Amino acid sequence: MVKKSLIALGALLVLFPTMAFAEDPSAATLNMGLNALWIMVAGVLVLLMQGGFILLETGSTRMKNAGHVAGKTIFTLGLCSLIYWAVGYGFSFGADAAESLNKFIGIGNFFFDPSLTAGDGDSYPSTIFFVFQLAFAAVSLSIAWGGFAERAKLSSYLIYTILFGSVIYPVIAHWIWGGGWLAEDGSQDYAGSTVVHLTGAMGAFAATILLKPRIGKYNKDGSANQISGHNQVFSALSVLLLWVGWFGFNAGSALAVGDGFFGYVAFNTQLGAAGGAVAALLVSWLFTGKADIPTMLNGALAGLVAITASCAYVEPWAAVVIGLVAGVLVFLSAKFFEKIRVDDPISAMSVHGAAGVWGTLANGFFATKELVEKVGVGKAGLFYGGGGEQLWVQFESVVVCGAYAFAASFILLWIMKKLIGFRVTEEQEIIGLDLSEHGSYGYPEHLKKTGASI
Amino acid sequence: MSSGGMGAHEERFSEIADIGILRSVREKEQQRLSETMPDRPIGETAEALNGLHDALIARAISLAEREMARLGYGTPPVPYAYLLFGSGGRREITFSSDQDSGIVYADASSEAENQANAAYFAEFSRIAVNRLVQLGYPPCEGNVIASNPSWRLSLREWEEKIDGWFAEPSWENVRYLLILADGRAIAGDQALPRMLKDRFYTDVLQTPIIARRMLENTLRHKVLVGVFGQLLRERYGENAGGLDIKYGAYIPMVNVFRLMAVRAGIRETGTLARIGALQEKGLLTPAEAQAATDAFALMVKLRLLTAAKYEDGQWIGSGKIAKEQLTDGLVQPLKRALKFGKFMQRRLEREMRDRYGSR
Repeated sequence: MVKKSLIALGALLVLFPTMAFAEDPSAATLNMGLNALWIMVAGVLVLLMQGGFILLETGSTRMKNAGHVAGKTIFTLGLCSLIYWAVGYGFSFGADAAESLNKFIGIGNFFFDPSLTAGDGDSYPSTIFFVFQLAFAAVSLSIAWGGFAERAKLSSYLIYTILFGSVIYPVIAHWIWGGGWLAEDGSQDYAGSTVVHLTGAMGAFAATILLKPRIGKYNKDGSANQISGHNQVFSALSVLLLWVGWFGFNAGSALAVGDGFFGYVAFNTQLGAAGGAVAALLVSWLFTGKADIPTMLNGALAGLVAITASCAYVEPWAAVVIGLVAGVLVFLSAKFFEKIRVDDPISAMSVHGAAGVWGTLANGFFATKELVEKVGVGKAGLFYGGGGEQLWVQFESVVVCGAYAFAASFILLWIMKKLIGFRVTEEQEIIGLDLSEHGSYGYPEHLKKTGASI
Repeated sequence: MSSGGMGAHEERFSEIADIGILRSVREKEQQRLSETMPDRPIGETAEALNGLHDALIARAISLAEREMARLGYGTPPVPYAYLLFGSGGRREITFSSDQDSGIVYADASSEAENQANAAYFAEFSRIAVNRLVQLGYPPCEGNVIASNPSWRLSLREWEEKIDGWFAEPSWENVRYLLILADGRAIAGDQALPRMLKDRFYTDVLQTPIIARRMLENTLRHKVLVGVFGQLLRERYGENAGGLDIKYGAYIPMVNVFRLMAVRAGIRETGTLARIGALQEKGLLTPAEAQAATDAFALMVKLRLLTAAKYEDGQWIGSGKIAKEQLTDGLVQPLKRALKFGKFMQRRLEREMRDRYGSR
């Protein structure tokens, strides 16, 4: 034990010699280092949210697709990383485009080759910024998979990852975060209710329309059947993982340690999530007579999605209200989509779409003057003397970004559907994608024997 | 036991000796009753239907007795009563019902004789249950049926069994006691079931806590009305938008008034009769009794409207009323009825809590 400790200490001294032989770093270097450390931690937290998506999507779907649903998340994370490195990051944040083109898309930094360390005057190294942004793109992509669940061919995941990581997500990210035209208008989307969540949800929406409902979801008379997920414990655990990861997502978006403002962002994030969980459980209990667990879990996520845009712009009481409304909204929205025969197995459209829209619009109501000045984007909201101006900007960015993400996804997926097909065959769907796409079950002991008959 | 005169039930079809013909009579009569249902008061249809079921079942049992004689088993060695439980016991059968039944027979003077009696009734119940299946009454899924030896006992055995249920009021045993409370003789001797009930009600008086146990057993089915007074409809499946009338309206009402009646020593088995008796004893005000009667009559009506499917030679009721049948004219009185049911459930629950403490 003692020996091991000494070896570890020695190794640390080799790695971080400043600990032993300090030459006092400058305040700027210290500041940069602290920022870098926090953004890196936040980026890792956001990356870990993929674990949440794996459990969420797997838990909300059936056993026969479990291996496929879980495994494809890791595969597409890998592919998305390569695409984002090659072109996505450049389209989002590249600074070489002419001013008129830059309104719509960034150019530069393709096959990103960063400098080894932070340059003079930089707040953080660009490597860490890249990792952080990549993790966001991957989250948005995983949200879209909700619309593909249990019936899309594996090849469609491959193709959509390439398209999403290059021309769908980066364009919207550029518009709002990369100095594009919505950024110029002062659109407030602190950590991505629109950029990340609405974009992903629109991808899911386009996919589910093109794929049509799963076999057995609707009866001939139009009534819906419940296709329960196979593991509610997975789903609950997934929400906890996502909730914790969200501290990286929102508080990390401060991109600085500085005066500790990221703590306020984290604080509001917690309030929003809490409001969503509580409201959703109560509303499902009141309306249906049963307190529905999946609805409550979706409520927590909806609260998080909604507070994502507004966490740095609103007062604590407003964060609670935003969360509560999101919890109610997700319940109503899920009912609505089911009614119009859109089969959304993991409620991506309600959790990330409806709540994403609400969270973005909420800034237009609740953004305070003081916080807007602090963040330095846009104006105060309707309830804080800003008039309807900010609300209009928020509305505009929701409509434009939602329309772009939906249209681009729909057209590209439609072309793919015509060229190579989108959905597995009926037989494959019934057998399960574990077997049809990968040749082995996620739960072999449970399913092998019955495999032939189902 | 309520309403005697099973001889009268049996007489109605006394000239029919073939179960197949009896079955076609059932089909024809039910068809006629369902066609005339819209044109007459619902109580009349319900009464006529149950009269029909009583007559059919009694006749089938009588035919089973004859068959026993033909097979060389002779006539019943001792007096017996064929009991109906569940909706049959309450005379609340709709167009379809499964068989919830039992047999009680007189005590023998020796163990050997008792064994001979048991052997006779074992064979007899097997035949009777089969004939009733042929008539279109499927066997009880919970195995509460005369062909199950647990529900086919001599009087003394029954009394011991009942005492045992009271002595150990587990969830399952209390369920059995509640089933027994709805018991009624459809054929055979009247005195035996009366003695059975005597034991039951004596035990109730000696074990007041049983009411508390019975409450836990009966509040399990929630009335399907929400906090805003909205109907809690089916959300998924082929009945989406419809309402589970059986378990969300009818059964909770049956349970509430059964428990009130049992506590008051009321031996009626029909829910409406129980409500009437409760009013007579001053346990329901005339206004409450009226509201209860109206609410229950509506539930009986909706139950008759619930789809009865004809499958594999049996009638199977879903117990759920379709969305299309829930017209605006029905929804309002239904909400009122359900709210009343919920109110009664709460009242009973509160009463028990005040008396026996909360759980």
